[in-house]
Amino acid sequence: MSALLEVDGLEVDYGTARALDGADLRVAAGEAVGVVGESGSGKSTLGAAIGRLLPRQAVVAAGTVRVAGEPVLDLPPAALRRLRRQRLGFVFQDPIASLDPTMRVGAQLRLVLRAHGRDGRESPGGRDGGRGGADVAFHLARVKLDDPRVAAAYPHQLSGGMAQRVAIALAMAASPELLVADEPTASLDSQVREEVLNVVFALARQAGTSIVWLSHDLPAVARRCDRVAVMYAGRVVESGPAADVLGDPVHPYTAALARSAPAVAVPGVRLEPVPGRPPVLTGPSPGCAFAPRCPFAEDRCATERPEPVRVGAKDVLCHRAAELEVIA
Amino acid sequence: MRLLLWWAGRALSSAVTLLGISVLIFAALRLMPGGFAETILGPFATPAQKAELAARYGLDQSVFAQYGHWLAAVGTGDFGTSMISRQPVAAELWARLPVTGRLTLFAVAAAVLAGVPLGVLTALRARPGGGGAAGRLLSGLGVSVPEFALGSLVVFVVSRYGLQTSGYLLPAAVLSIFAISATARTTRDAVLNVLVEPHVTAAVARGETPWFIVRHHILRNAAGPVLTLTAYLLGGALIVEYLFNLPGIGSYVVQAVGRRDYAVVQAGVLLAATVFIVMNVLIDLLVGLVDPRLGRRA
Amino acid sequence: MNRTARVKRSRRLDPLSLAGLGCLLLLVLVALGSLVHAGGDPDAIVGPRLRPPGPGWWLGTDNLGRSMLPRVMEGVGTTLLLSSAAVLVTAALSAGFGILAGYRGGYLNELIMRVVELLYSFPAIVLAILVAAVAGPGQLAAVASIVLVTIPLMTRLVRAAAVAVAERDYVTAAAISGAGLPRILGRHVLPNVAGTIAVQGTYALSVGISVEGGLSFLGFGVQPPQASLGVLIRQGGTYMMAAPWLIIGPGVVLVLAILSINVLGDGLRDRFEPRETRSLI
Repeated sequence: MSALLEVDGLEVDYGTARALDGADLRVAAGEAVGVVGESGSGKSTLGAAIGRLLPRQAVVAAGTVRVAGEPVLDLPPAALRRLRRQRLGFVFQDPIASLDPTMRVGAQLRLVLRAHGRDGRESPGGRDGGRGGADVAFHLARVKLDDPRVAAAYPHQLSGGMAQRVAIALAMAASPELLVADEPTASLDSQVREEVLNVVFALARQAGTSIVWLSHDLPAVARRCDRVAVMYAGRVVESGPAADVLGDPVHPYTAALARSAPAVAVPGVRLEPVPGRPPVLTGPSPGCAFAPRCPFAEDRCATERPEPVRVGAKDVLCHRAAELEVIA
Repeated sequence: MRLLLWWAGRALSSAVTLLGISVLIFAALRLMPGGFAETILGPFATPAQKAELAARYGLDQSVFAQYGHWLAAVGTGDFGTSMISRQPVAAELWARLPVTGRLTLFAVAAAVLAGVPLGVLTALRARPGGGGAAGRLLSGLGVSVPEFALGSLVVFVVSRYGLQTSGYLLPAAVLSIFAISATARTTRDAVLNVLVEPHVTAAVARGETPWFIVRHHILRNAAGPVLTLTAYLLGGALIVEYLFNLPGIGSYVVQAVGRRDYAVVQAGVLLAATVFIVMNVLIDLLVGLVDPRLGRRA
Repeated sequence: MNRTARVKRSRRLDPLSLAGLGCLLLLVLVALGSLVHAGGDPDAIVGPRLRPPGPGWWLGTDNLGRSMLPRVMEGVGTTLLLSSAAVLVTAALSAGFGILAGYRGGYLNELIMRVVELLYSFPAIVLAILVAAVAGPGQLAAVASIVLVTIPLMTRLVRAAAVAVAERDYVTAAAISGAGLPRILGRHVLPNVAGTIAVQGTYALSVGISVEGGLSFLGFGVQPPQASLGVLIRQGGTYMMAAPWLIIGPGVVLVLAILSINVLGDGLRDRFEPRETRSLI
């Protein structure tokens, strides 16, 4: 069975700065994958590339992105829009800004539902026809917004948590096959964060939607997702089943992340950064980008690009993966 | 309720502003060489006229009482008499209103029908870096030619080729060119600012077409600055009237300044101030209707 | 978006802005040249009246037989001098009022912003005419008009910058550690709004040139025989049919001056106040 999302060797440059340096990612249908990395690791670029939502100055130097077999980066505009409409959903970091400030919530939802009607796709709860009032209420109720005043409110009248749930309702209205969430809870406090997480994951499971969850919070992601991919300097350095990656890390960077994570059960606490700073790449990294900060680095790490190595159920991007597995 | 309160505050502050302007104008008139009577009546007024004026405005009373009388007169539309035409200023202004009004309305229509679409189109086609040096130079040229220079050029070209310079067509065309280029530039900036907002990215991510996004998510968001611009067209109308010798309010006041016809100048200043303040309040109302963030902006 | 989306920005001005700067410097040089009569005596009668450009009068002669070249040079000097003087006044006043309103806030802020809003609601040329009506036509009217026209926008933007600075931690820290108000404003706030003042000052200069031109064109600014670009265009208008060079020379120089300053201003703005350009459609 081929995966729903396949990202292969993706390289993206912004002018002279390299954001992705050969990133690989696979997501199966119905699976939730957490992509974890510090800011600057390229995870937002990876998320944007899935819907070809890269800013204009971004240049794709190499690699492919396939969603349900369709080559996202090579589709003509109309096909790309159809793909975004029918298969993809996006939720962004700043919930209030990602809603149109001049439109009531209900009107925005109706607008999205109408667009799906044009595609001849029936959205769940769309049986009563008419002006779609019941539709709007249905979709808001799905994200646990039962107060009828929400539909009549403007985005700036909502709290961050409510606005994010509206954004989720908009993204999930068409029951997409894949939902890409770029740190959607970063600006919310921990109580609200849990509620929003519950809403998203429950809704996705119900609709059979796969999730790509971008975050810097490894423990929180590991608890919710089936699999985790750890990014460093534009590459996925370790990926595998969530429990394995968090509990039994192989790559020295993942290990440092897992160690620096405080009590695993405390959600919403930022990762302690690993000593040193992540590099700013200006081109392909000649060797392993983590080598300068790595306590296990040897000579070839600086000169030879590591290739994925299979260690148990995980793929690890490290020359010394086999030895380190023994150490761990 | 909050909106209503905001409106009450807005109306009150506008009234206070207008009152401030009236004090300023009154003080300026008192400071003019020759004194108040001569300023209003002109240097050739008869003693009888001066006595009548003194009685009407209470010139023998305190300054504050005088201001009160003057304000009351102005409030009833009595701006005094033009020393050139010896006609009541209010009537003269009223007779010239249609010229200015027609010119401005035409330009506003051109701005909305041509300037806004042009601004949206150029914004959508803009690339980071401004579309190269040529594009920047061209768009820069559009705002770097002052109205009076552009108008002179048009007058020159038209009369050189023996075309008719009288009538409204040419002045309206000149003002429209100015209105369109200014509106297009403002619209472009406003749209460019909206384009980078996350909610537009979100709409793109939902697979909506550019046209759909412009219509539903961008135009309303960009309306504010464009509406504000319409008030400025009145300034352009003044220059164009002067240039083409049209009998509008603008050219009337410009002539009056040149001839030191202060009764007319005073009326012109007050009228301009009133029009601009009322227009700004109206525009605020309109912007508030299309953009509910109004309360936060104030 | 995280850090990856940010593009490294060059610290240098782009070629077009440099060209604008070069053009402006050239005009300044021309203005300085007019002081030593580098193009000839602007008041000397050198030839027949209303002659097209030719040897001895490279920009033609006017209705009195004076060469246009030194007159345009003098005009550039007058216009630049009046505009820059006005912009300096605007910059000083805006910095003062803007920082005061932004940092102190409260009642003072209300008052300053109310006045600014009032001025802002008038179109430039109407405001300029009002000033001329009260102050009487002349250079003072021109300078005062430019100041009143340019002050609202600059004060607003300086205030916005000052508000942003006032909320920063190091300013609060300085205030807590007992630094006096002048010290905080001078050491912490002013340097942070200087970029805004520089960018807006550039734009104000171009507005100033346009306002001086417009006002003198209407006859309320600089008075003949002194030349300014506006005066020359006004005088040239009278003989437009017989001698178009009278209006074309100063007109082209006026547009060139405004254009080069605007282009320079855009370049400065991009450098000091970079905006994200992440549009997707």
